[in-house]
Amino acid sequence: MDIGGLLKELLLEDKVLIHFDFMNGFFDINKSVVVTWGVIAVLALTLIFLTSNMKLHDIRTKQLVAESIVDGLRGITGGMLGEEGYKYRDFMAVVLVFIGASNLVGLFGFTPATMDLNVTLALALTSIVLVEAAGIIEKGFGKWLKGFSQPMAIVTPMNILELAIRPLSLCMRLFGNVIGATVIMELLKMAVPVVVPAAFSVYFDIFDGLIQAYVFVFLTSLYIKEAIE
Amino acid sequence: MLSISIMNIVYTVINLLILYVVFRLFLFKRVDAVLQKRREEIEQATAEAVKKEKEAENFKESYAKKLQDVGKECDEMVAKSKKDGYDEYDRIINDAKEKAEQIIIEAKHNAQIEAQREKDAYVSELTDLVVHAANKIAVSKHDEETDKELYNKFIFEAIEKSE
Repeated sequence: MDIGGLLKELLLEDKVLIHFDFMNGFFDINKSVVVTWGVIAVLALTLIFLTSNMKLHDIRTKQLVAESIVDGLRGITGGMLGEEGYKYRDFMAVVLVFIGASNLVGLFGFTPATMDLNVTLALALTSIVLVEAAGIIEKGFGKWLKGFSQPMAIVTPMNILELAIRPLSLCMRLFGNVIGATVIMELLKMAVPVVVPAAFSVYFDIFDGLIQAYVFVFLTSLYIKEAIE
Repeated sequence: MLSISIMNIVYTVINLLILYVVFRLFLFKRVDAVLQKRREEIEQATAEAVKKEKEAENFKESYAKKLQDVGKECDEMVAKSKKDGYDEYDRIINDAKEKAEQIIIEAKHNAQIEAQREKDAYVSELTDLVVHAANKIAVSKHDEETDKELYNKFIFEAIEKSE
């Protein structure tokens, strides 16, 4: 059992998949990005299949599935965002699906896209931009700016720090959970190659992946709700 | 392992936006369109039902009014018939009265004529009797006694006859 070798392979592997030879590899494309391309392609094809030939009456099962998906996703994110954040629910639903699907590709033998810090960082940055943009749109720039010194002027530095802390915590939580789950799964597979990894896979690959997606979306929705109040 | 590549962050953001566009185009928009259409259809059906209900209400009202009118007309007709009947009754009664009066008058008249005729007949008989008596007297012998007898006889006969 070469645990050190395994960890080295998992954590220090070269993530670059497509290498461009100019600007010192600045435009290199990581494996995770390619995996998300696959995720997007699969999701797009599934959706096109599900929503093709939609009818008003006598709907087929696939249309029912499509409508249920829309209802379910909007129910989840709409409930978290509340009345005021209604218009962000579609985007939050997409983030939920994106993270969930990225985590679940581990089931098919790919490295989860969210195991790449760049992906979670991108998601966290998008979230914080969305949160602040929502605050500016709903309250206006002046009020948004004033919001930093509320409820007291003394908390202003902390509120400004929050701008960086929130995305960092979002990004690290997701990244840490996914990499932790993957490392544990790999170690388990090393220790007991049959039966036991399958049982734990249900938790680490499916449940944890979806829970992390939910937590990410839940926290972002919470921030948006707070920002537009 | 913790190497951060700005371009990959950008790629991921772009990926996320692409996925959002995909979801919008192929899921939310399509399903929303269907739901919207369905809602419109329901609204239309509801409006139609309300309209129909109103129409039915109008019909009901008009029928009730018509029914009322017919009832009124019926009453009028009955009243008219009654009035006509009374008029007819009066007319018949009057006619009958008139006729009766005429009959009475005629009867009276006839009776008068009859009485006159009887009177005439009596008078002529009396005349005959007188003539007869006179003849008898003229034919028989005359003395005071027979005259008296005759006289009495005549009177008796006359009395008997008249009785």
